[in-house]
Amino acid sequence: MAGRVLDHATEAFAFIDELDRLFTADHVVDAMERSFSLFGFENFIVTGLPNPRERFEHMVLLKKWPAGWFEIYSKEDYVRVDPIIRLCRNTVQPFAWSEAPYDRAGDPRAAEVMDRATDFRMSEGFCLPIHGINGYEACLSMSGVDIDISSRTKPALHLMTIYAFERIRQLLSPTSLRSTGTLTLRERETLIWAAAGKSAADTGDILGITERTVTAHIVSACQKLGAANKTQAVARAIHHRLIRI
Amino acid sequence: MTQVHVVTRDNKKLYEDHIDQFFRLRHDVFVSERGWKDLEKPDKRETDAYDNDHAIYLIAIDKDKVVGGQRLYPTVLPHMITDVFSHLARRGAPRAFNIFEWTRYFVVKERRTGRADCRLLASFQEFCLEEGITQATAVVEMWWLPRWQQAGFKVRPLGLPTMVEGQPCVAAAIDISRDTLDRVRSLGGLRGSCLVWEGTRTPILDQVAHVAA
Repeated sequence: MAGRVLDHATEAFAFIDELDRLFTADHVVDAMERSFSLFGFENFIVTGLPNPRERFEHMVLLKKWPAGWFEIYSKEDYVRVDPIIRLCRNTVQPFAWSEAPYDRAGDPRAAEVMDRATDFRMSEGFCLPIHGINGYEACLSMSGVDIDISSRTKPALHLMTIYAFERIRQLLSPTSLRSTGTLTLRERETLIWAAAGKSAADTGDILGITERTVTAHIVSACQKLGAANKTQAVARAIHHRLIRI
Repeated sequence: MTQVHVVTRDNKKLYEDHIDQFFRLRHDVFVSERGWKDLEKPDKRETDAYDNDHAIYLIAIDKDKVVGGQRLYPTVLPHMITDVFSHLARRGAPRAFNIFEWTRYFVVKERRTGRADCRLLASFQEFCLEEGITQATAVVEMWWLPRWQQAGFKVRPLGLPTMVEGQPCVAAAIDISRDTLDRVRSLGGLRGSCLVWEGTRTPILDQVAHVAA
């Protein structure tokens, strides 16, 4: 960046310490803007990843995006085809946007979102995926036209983005602590064991609850998923990425 | 029902079979699954220099089957961050009689739905609170850091992320607190304690004072 020599470690730790002293989302945005611009980033977004029944715009915690782009992105529902979002779901490591694969010929909608982003000075980027303890999925993604992601800067960026995400989550998102979508932890657990071939009685033994309670959780999951039976509930939960097996 | 058992030199006789399972599972998880080939052992039991009388294990057991575990070790003695990972802690690693290093955390594959993790994390906080341990240090894979934070852990990085066995990892200090314990319990839907301490029970900090003296 413009020949400026940065002490990335000092910058990272100062940023992390500063976050603890910020108590509004606007102040966090200001701090992120200041610190991430040192690496060439101009735009960023912090968002949960929607499951197929959720709207992208309801998942966004905070953003500094160019005027107009959010409207286009929402209207076109680009979140379903965005190669960055796709890779985000499938890796736990942060990555440069250029590392997110898509087939320009076979996947024209993916190419379209990447091309149109470029029109908004979002040509290169860095994305931190978050995979929470109970299936919660989110990311912090940021971009610019002349960004500095190298082996020198990446460790500092990695740490800074994790702490920025956490501060924003604390300030804005008490509900995001819940599981993905609408299933409770118990409903997910009972479906996972059902997927592993366990009966309700077995599952009750494993989880230390009664068979009747297991069945109640599965029935509740069936209702939420609009499933006719346990098998269909498992299939839908896997399809919607509410459980993994 | 899974409970987390405290295993120390004073009561390990009661847990010989579980300790054996625990070492075998460590081999399965850290060597076979994660590929830390340096830890590979011909007998498929992963043990190291810190599996000695100073180590404290918190082992998650469900009907005699070990489903997860973790280890605590006094920082007043040479420990992994001083011996192996000092390059990860450029800002310096805290050491004191009431600060322990937290290592070898795992949950067996079939229990990675969230609750077993919450149980182990809650037991770790609860055990430390009860015993007067105020902080823990640890090396953690970066992708796990948001999970700790989600569980309410207050985590201070001791250096920048550094590659260990192909994974970016960071050394960190974690505050032990009642708030964190409440937070992780509510995240996991846990009502009350799942910590069990059978047999002879010596206050942990008394043992450390003895070691340090």
